[in-house]
Amino acid sequence: MSLSKFSDKLFSKAALRGIFAIFVFVVLWEVGARSEEWFGYRFPFIGLVPPPSDVFVSWGGLIANPSYWQSWYMSFLRVFGGFTAAMIIGIPMGLLMAVNKASYGIIFPSFEVLRPIPPLAWVPASIIFWPTQELSIAFVTFLGAFYTIVINVLGGANSINKQFLQAAQSMGASQWDIFRRIVLPATLPSIVVGSAVGMGITWEVVVAAEMISGGGSSGGGAGGGLGFFIWSSYVGGSYEQIIVGMISIGIAGYISSELLRQLGGFLTPWLKTR
Amino acid sequence: MPDPANKSEILGALKSAMPFQMVPDNLMQEIAAICTQESYESGAKVYDLGAIADDVFIVFSGSVEHILSAETEASEHKKIMRSGDVFGWAAVLDGQNVRMASTLSIEPTQVLRINGKKLIKLFESDPAVGDVVMTRFATLINKEFYVPRSIADQVPGFKQALNASNLQGSEVTTMALTVYRISTWLKSPRPYLMLIGFALFLGFWMLSVEIWKLPRFVDMPGPTEVFTEWFSEDPYYGLSIYTPEYYKHIGISLQRIAFAFFLATGLGVPLGLFLGWSKNFREYIFPLFEVFRPIPVLAWVPLAIIMFSGSETPVIFLTFLASFFATTLNTMLGVESIDESYSRAARCLGASRWQTFVHVVIPGAMPYIFTGLQISIGVAWFSLVAGEMVSGQYGLGYVINTAYMMIEYPKIIIGMITLGVVGYITSAMVRMMGDYLMQWRVRELALGDN
Amino acid sequence: MSAVIDENVGSLADVTDGAISIKDVVKIYDPDGAAVMAVDHCSIEIPAGEICMIVGPSGCGKTTLLNAIAGFHGITSGSIHLDGELLCGPEKPQAEPGSDRIVVFQNGALFPWKTNLDNVAFGPMMAGKQSKEEIYEKARSMMADTGLSGNENNYPGEISSGLRRRVEIVRALMNDPKVLLFDEPYRALDSLTKSVMHEALLEIYYRNKVTIFFITHDLEEAIFLGHRLIIMSSRPCKPKKIVEVDIPHPRDYSVLTSPRFRELMNEAKDVVHEEATKAFEAGEKEG
Repeated sequence: MSLSKFSDKLFSKAALRGIFAIFVFVVLWEVGARSEEWFGYRFPFIGLVPPPSDVFVSWGGLIANPSYWQSWYMSFLRVFGGFTAAMIIGIPMGLLMAVNKASYGIIFPSFEVLRPIPPLAWVPASIIFWPTQELSIAFVTFLGAFYTIVINVLGGANSINKQFLQAAQSMGASQWDIFRRIVLPATLPSIVVGSAVGMGITWEVVVAAEMISGGGSSGGGAGGGLGFFIWSSYVGGSYEQIIVGMISIGIAGYISSELLRQLGGFLTPWLKTR
Repeated sequence: MPDPANKSEILGALKSAMPFQMVPDNLMQEIAAICTQESYESGAKVYDLGAIADDVFIVFSGSVEHILSAETEASEHKKIMRSGDVFGWAAVLDGQNVRMASTLSIEPTQVLRINGKKLIKLFESDPAVGDVVMTRFATLINKEFYVPRSIADQVPGFKQALNASNLQGSEVTTMALTVYRISTWLKSPRPYLMLIGFALFLGFWMLSVEIWKLPRFVDMPGPTEVFTEWFSEDPYYGLSIYTPEYYKHIGISLQRIAFAFFLATGLGVPLGLFLGWSKNFREYIFPLFEVFRPIPVLAWVPLAIIMFSGSETPVIFLTFLASFFATTLNTMLGVESIDESYSRAARCLGASRWQTFVHVVIPGAMPYIFTGLQISIGVAWFSLVAGEMVSGQYGLGYVINTAYMMIEYPKIIIGMITLGVVGYITSAMVRMMGDYLMQWRVRELALGDN
Repeated sequence: MSAVIDENVGSLADVTDGAISIKDVVKIYDPDGAAVMAVDHCSIEIPAGEICMIVGPSGCGKTTLLNAIAGFHGITSGSIHLDGELLCGPEKPQAEPGSDRIVVFQNGALFPWKTNLDNVAFGPMMAGKQSKEEIYEKARSMMADTGLSGNENNYPGEISSGLRRRVEIVRALMNDPKVLLFDEPYRALDSLTKSVMHEALLEIYYRNKVTIFFITHDLEEAIFLGHRLIIMSSRPCKPKKIVEVDIPHPRDYSVLTSPRFRELMNEAKDVVHEEATKAFEAGEKEG
């Protein structure tokens, strides 16, 4: 996008309105958070929250601190690790179930029975089972994304227009050909969408797992990460850092989703022509 | 009398005809016994308007042209009948002795003829089935021949013969339909594959923990341990289906979910609707919404504990937050997905903006809203469990967490399974509520594309 | 179909409302900065009560014209009047949608969540000027007149697409519109159903004279239904040839094999084919 177009977009009416609303929000937050100082009366809820100005200052200090970036790195590692594992196992399994009725009949009911169990409920079982804490977090992360990806692959495969398959068959394609050239590309959009949703869930699980196993019952010494950062900020009483952590995770989550979206756009160029 | 060698073909033809699709085998044999066969050359007349209406016809092979008289007030008069189609149904209408249409074969055709009076007599021995078949005839006449219901409903009723006084015809049909569906399902390989899957999973679990005692699985509780504990009257760790405490935990989790979910729906749906409907509103508010959304709900835990006093409110707040984002987003997307033609049509017809919102946007978005609600309840459970594991007392998440801390491992699995079951039930309830509110969708989907 | 129809049924003499005047209309779209002219100085006069068929290849801009009359889009220059009143023009680039000009959409726009009867009653119910009983009685009788009785309490998803179109037309007529705008409504129907729909439409027309602005690419449909054909050029859209259809009303399907019908087809088809080829070569996407 050319520079003039970018600045057009940035200062377009829509963007300005959005920025305005966010600005109003930040102002209200500042006023509410400082209510005790300024008015002698503390607003409920908001009055207890650190004000944005303090958060900003704290963040400035943290940027110079390497352990802050270490937390970023750890969380990203876990997210992409678990996510990739979920894709590696989930996509083939989904495709298998889509093309082979027998495997669908065997696997899917058990899959559906286990699905409502929230991934976090698996944490204690996972800790008992896996030798290291890292693996137990990775397992739970994997579970989170796994379900979403499989369901999306199945959905995508099921909605393949039958006529594509018939057209291929009438042109003499073999089963493998059909799989490679029709089923696989046709399910890609669903996989891409499923990944985007799965990514969001993965972040949730990673953060939760970092908070629970790092700051919870099993005692300290966990491998850090942004979730752990938030929890230990809370325990240590530096409340501004909690909010820095929250915003950081938000940004990190957004970056990962964007990356996925770009990758998805690269893999499915035909969708762009709509 | 039909040639015995053709009996299976006759049965096949009967089974493919819509009104007879649910007749049980014994009655079907009797119907087949009263069938006769007939052949027509191309262009031959099958029957004329006004002729005596004696037999019902099922096309076996070939095709006929069926032309209804103007008096039937059918919205369309001509119809081509092919293999499996049923015509000549005047023969089963009460008080209708003569043909209401003329029928002409347009290629060499074979038909099955069933005498109307004999057919009705057969059903007297099984009025429940008779009622179902006649109701299906009525539906066939109304929907496939476009004949008004006033005529279609002249099929004989078997309702007096049914003993239970409150069994309406439609209820029998629904029940019969369910029974039919279940019996078809049982005959397919699906339930057996499902059992194989479960068996494999449970088998693996049992083998790895109890029999082979694989190193990794040493501390894990095995299925026997878990299930004996779960169903024992005096459980070792104090939690089973017989202990009131079990239900207390379930109840508390459910309470929290219900409160958070309904609050999130009550706020999220209207917000989503407005975000989808009004461009101005969306331009202001959506960016703010999108700033908050990527923040994982659980990252709010410490802040929630700081903001809200007590241990209950933070948990509900987190659950609410998760549901709220999911519901709002899906509702907004739903509004955006509504076909533009509907709101344009409404405006053409003179509806004001507000009327369009109420009559087009809200009903049109409903399917998407309910999909969103199913997602919403899923994430609600997700957050609730996390919240309960960290803070709060009682509840299934709490059970799992304390069981882990107190090294009462079977309780962990019991908690997990219970969560799965309860989560599934609540999700199904949301789906059923959606089906109930959107009858139009259920019916539309059932009939396929038209 | 059944009812007895009076002989002067095709005459427009007694229709007073619904004259459309399209003067020098231009519409330029601007997607991503590339100006595309969809309608190029188009002028058409449609007398009240006429069935005016707009024929042209896909994507040539006929729908744009319809949307301008209906009020869904604006125009870049020129003006459109209805019975002398301004719909859109230099000071007012976009008309407001209203129940004097009702559209029957290509894929149908019956509300799937309302029963057929509720759909038909929708317009007057929104206007709120009559009592509910009056409205529903009128709705029922209009449905009966069009052979739709028995389907009142069904949902649109439960009936055939041919019947759905008819319900949509009745829904429009309940509001006493001056103009009905049809945007290729029978495009997706098979030819057997189409022929039934054509006769049904004419029969409805004979009972309720409104101006009909009908877009189609089917020449047979156009000549069968219309008083006049306006054949449009490929994009940008501009009237290229006008064919007067002087086959008398009432028309039924026997008209299709009459010699006059064949003559008119010949007159029209060369032009239509020429424009269709141009559109095809230009790679036009369907509108």
